[in-house]
Amino acid sequence: MNQYGTASGVARSGGSATGYAAEPGYGTSYGAGHGSAPVVKFENVSKHYGSLKAVDGLNLDLRSGETVALLGPNGAGKSTSLDMLLALRKPTSGKIEMFGSDPYHAVKSGRVGAMLQSGGLMPEVTVRELVTLVTNLHPKPEPIDLTLKRAGIDKFADQRVDRLSGGQTQRVRFALAICGKSELIVLDEPTTAMDVETRRLFWESMKAEVAEGRTLLFATHYLEEADQAADRILVINRGRLLADGTPAEIKAKAGARRITFHLDQVDEQFLLGLPALVNLEVRRDFVQIQTSDSDATLYGVLDAGLRPRDIEVTGLGLEQAFLAITAEDDAAADGSAQAGETI
Amino acid sequence: MSGTLALAKAEISRLRRNKRYLIFTVALPVMFYLIFGKQKSTGYDVSFAAFYMVGMAAFGAFSGAFNNNTIRISQERKDGWIRQLRLTPLPASAYVVAKILASMVTTVPSIVIVFLLGHFYGDVHMPIWKWVVCALAIWIGTLIFAALAVALGYKLDPDSVQPVTIVVFFFFSIFGGLWFPLSGALQKFGEFTPTYQIVKITTDVIGHGTAAVGNVVGIGVWLVIFVALATFAVRSTAETV
Repeated sequence: MNQYGTASGVARSGGSATGYAAEPGYGTSYGAGHGSAPVVKFENVSKHYGSLKAVDGLNLDLRSGETVALLGPNGAGKSTSLDMLLALRKPTSGKIEMFGSDPYHAVKSGRVGAMLQSGGLMPEVTVRELVTLVTNLHPKPEPIDLTLKRAGIDKFADQRVDRLSGGQTQRVRFALAICGKSELIVLDEPTTAMDVETRRLFWESMKAEVAEGRTLLFATHYLEEADQAADRILVINRGRLLADGTPAEIKAKAGARRITFHLDQVDEQFLLGLPALVNLEVRRDFVQIQTSDSDATLYGVLDAGLRPRDIEVTGLGLEQAFLAITAEDDAAADGSAQAGETI
Repeated sequence: MSGTLALAKAEISRLRRNKRYLIFTVALPVMFYLIFGKQKSTGYDVSFAAFYMVGMAAFGAFSGAFNNNTIRISQERKDGWIRQLRLTPLPASAYVVAKILASMVTTVPSIVIVFLLGHFYGDVHMPIWKWVVCALAIWIGTLIFAALAVALGYKLDPDSVQPVTIVVFFFFSIFGGLWFPLSGALQKFGEFTPTYQIVKITTDVIGHGTAAVGNVVGIGVWLVIFVALATFAVRSTAETV
């Protein structure tokens, strides 16, 4: 089997990601958190643990009302980024702003509701007591019964917190994130430990929250989830932003369609020169092409006078797009050593 | 501040439901007093009943503020509850302040119960102001150990905090003379412990209405040391909590 790849698609996506800050909306006043003003802004943010660069020069901004997925493999720097955003950790360098102020004061102002993977609950109290306690800490509290219902925990509100299942615990943590009228909700892998049905219910109630005009930022490595729930995806790997766009754009960037056909007398050099080609695999007379524009690639084949048989064009899911982006980044970063483990 | 008070209130209602806590802070001192309180001897020049009353009240308050807090703080740090609180509008210090407030409130009953026992069962009689001064001295001592508990709870993980707590607890109980009055070389050594200083201040007040300046200053120094340790522990673990 021969395999050829061009990293051009990915290199371009990386470039456009860092160029994002130049788009309209940047530089306008953002104190109010309305319109296109950034709710969150990362300016060249890095977090190093010794020689490990958990986050490495991250630039991004979120605008009001967006639902944004922070997508990346384990160890990509998602949790560290969210920790810094929520003032739990300090960046080694760079600057983070939330609602035009520093993260600590933004969190203390009650404008952010957050749920972390590492967040725990107070034991020995009932669910209702805990939700009531945290709700009362908010400057603008939601009605407690509404929070219980939205988080789907009203049925076990009188049970003790330390006697819940993993999925139930997760929902209580979610309740704590939405119990105040926050403008920004931050969720770190919110649906871990949830079954399929609970996950569906979770995103339904989440959509109700967002419909009220809230901004949502969530980290996930469930690609399907990012695809379905987010209207913007930030792909991060090795602490850097690799791609920034709508789910459709992300798919397109990585060459998100695959063309396969049979062809007698394959000329690999010719095929490599086809327009929009991202990746090529040839097995005797079987050709598989990954492309960012299937029409252009296929016309190129036909225009050369070739008549392939059994042509199939399939769309790749976000998963393949994501894997393609991060895998090529890993390969480019330092050869092969870590390329396998992140997939 | 109202948020911190709300958290302290929640902590207190948790403690009230905790049987282990009630056993150590109230049941054990009461039981010990009923068994040993009526010995016909003296301790630090006051009747044994009076000495043992302040000793057991300090013992209950000490274990309530210390034993219980070290383990809980360490566990809650590991579970991520402290982290969760940091995501709320509560000020960063709220968790520690609420823990200490809750300890200060919940040790009041154990001091009061042992004092009532001392009066009615142990036949301890003295003017009302001496009762108040003794109770206050023990109560402030609680603060010292609540601060030490914060330092250990933040610095040690749940597995190692348990044995360390037991060692520290027995050290300050025995060398502080909470269970029996110290004398000779043991007293020379024990004089430096905050537990000894608290018991000595209270027995001095019961005996002749004054307290040695050295002991009062000693309590102040311990308070400063433990609060500094607690502050250092909280600050240095800020990124891992």
